[in-house]
Amino acid sequence: MKRSATGGPIAAAGWVLLGVPLLTALIGPLLAGPASSDAGALHSPGADHPLGTDELGRDVLTLALGGGTSIVTMTGAALLLSYLIGVPLALLTVGGRQWASRLLLRLLDSLLALPGLLVLLVLAATGRRGTGTLVIAIAVLQLPAVVRIAQGAALAPGCGTALEAMTMQGESRPRARFIYIGRSILGPVAVDAGTRLNLVLYLMASANFLGLGLSSTATDWAVLVELNRDALFVQPWAVLAPAMLLVSLCAGVNLVVDGALSRRRTVRT
Amino acid sequence: MRRIGIALLQVLGVTVAVFALSALLPGDTAVVILGRHGTSEQIAALRERLGLDEPLPSRLLEWFGGLAHGDLGTSLLTGKPVAEEIADGLATTVVLTSCALGVILPLALAIGVLTGLRRGSPLDRAVNSVVVLLDSVPEFALGLLLVGLFSLRLGWLPATAAGISGTSLLAYPAVLVLPVVVLVCKQLCALTRQIRIGVAEAHTAEYASHARMHGLPERVVLFRHVLPNAAGAAVQQLARTVDGLLGGVVVVEALFALPGLGSGFVDAVRTRDLPTVQGYALMFAATTVTVNLLADIAARRLVPRREVAP
Repeated sequence: MKRSATGGPIAAAGWVLLGVPLLTALIGPLLAGPASSDAGALHSPGADHPLGTDELGRDVLTLALGGGTSIVTMTGAALLLSYLIGVPLALLTVGGRQWASRLLLRLLDSLLALPGLLVLLVLAATGRRGTGTLVIAIAVLQLPAVVRIAQGAALAPGCGTALEAMTMQGESRPRARFIYIGRSILGPVAVDAGTRLNLVLYLMASANFLGLGLSSTATDWAVLVELNRDALFVQPWAVLAPAMLLVSLCAGVNLVVDGALSRRRTVRT
Repeated sequence: MRRIGIALLQVLGVTVAVFALSALLPGDTAVVILGRHGTSEQIAALRERLGLDEPLPSRLLEWFGGLAHGDLGTSLLTGKPVAEEIADGLATTVVLTSCALGVILPLALAIGVLTGLRRGSPLDRAVNSVVVLLDSVPEFALGLLLVGLFSLRLGWLPATAAGISGTSLLAYPAVLVLPVVVLVCKQLCALTRQIRIGVAEAHTAEYASHARMHGLPERVVLFRHVLPNAAGAAVQQLARTVDGLLGGVVVVEALFALPGLGSGFVDAVRTRDLPTVQGYALMFAATTVTVNLLADIAARRLVPRREVAP
């Protein structure tokens, strides 16, 4: 009780920080319409363009409203994909042979030998860039941790006994495994997804900033920051508006997740 | 011993993987260099000159042979040896990361111990929220906001480090402030939290209260019993922090126009200069694996009773 009384303002701040960019990402494109480059480049804010225009002569307000959809959907897709591959993989290792699961874990661990951003750079260098590749690569980078966490949860004490009981009641073995263990790992996986969301968001934004994913003229906050950063001193809004929305999104996600996790912890103990 | 073997295998694996990825490139390097306008004779000639017509295993062996002599090949773009290109950027990156580490270590230790001893207090919660907040923000966005504030608005600090590199950076501390602050903000969180939790657990552990019952002053309990026990996990987290710094330095160098390993890597990626990309990848992989290896060994030394999984 004490925690929620003082945790209130921080949690509220988190929701506000998260809500503004998320709403922008969801309904912004509908409000803004497509961005066109008919005005001159790098106009200062004025009557026609409340936030001025960018390097390519596009309206900054339109871009800021439309630039969140890509990062939100790409992050969501990568996160979802990593669990869609990782969780079944973990369940297979639990039921499968010992040496096979150990081999799999070793292979996955070797994926951790490089920081994620560097792996993405190497992929881009060898001609593998683009949004699809980026989503898949970031999802694969999460696999070692996802598989370990799902596996750890599936091996938790109690799973074995409950499974035995279910088989004795006549449930088929694979069915029992997937339903019962699947349900029991839902909690840990949900907690992991909360913290992982931020990591994926960070990788996705940084990769787009370095030009490893979306094309350099795409309407995306990170790409806009990269495109206009040389114009920071001429037309700061072209950089600061997308940068602020992105920072707000990342910070909001982290604060909300952190708040939810610490509440969960207090309930348990 | 076994751990060192695994580390070597990891570096080897990364090298082969990078090599294979670039070898399997659709339309190989010769096509990339000549662009779309190269005639097929030109491409064939260039392939022969670059040795791309030989079978894959022999190219891999040749590359490893060169590696044994410290030869990483030649940059396709500048014609300089790759090793030289990397050495050019090394000083800048070392200065940048060591400055960041020099700030992170004492800061994380101070904040971690301070909040760990008062876990759950208003101070702990406030500091924790700030650190978590900083952790979430991508370096490039934070960096640009800081540049917007300190260079554009206040005019206190320079926005880029254009023209300055290597150890001469140390002569211009003002240039270093923003890049280092950005690196620190991002990497501070994980280490601080690890130290905080370690200290909090060791502080309330039975052996700590036992030591107190024997009349040991709190200072002795802290330095002799609490900190060493919290150190094991913290050292391994430190290795992850260095990994994170290596990733962060790529973005920060690109952002502040610092000519280091990171921006060199990004440029090599942009121009598809594959031998250089391989050199950088090898360099980064070797560094990460070495750092993690050292951390494992150190953790084992610090907490002898705990077996660290290889």
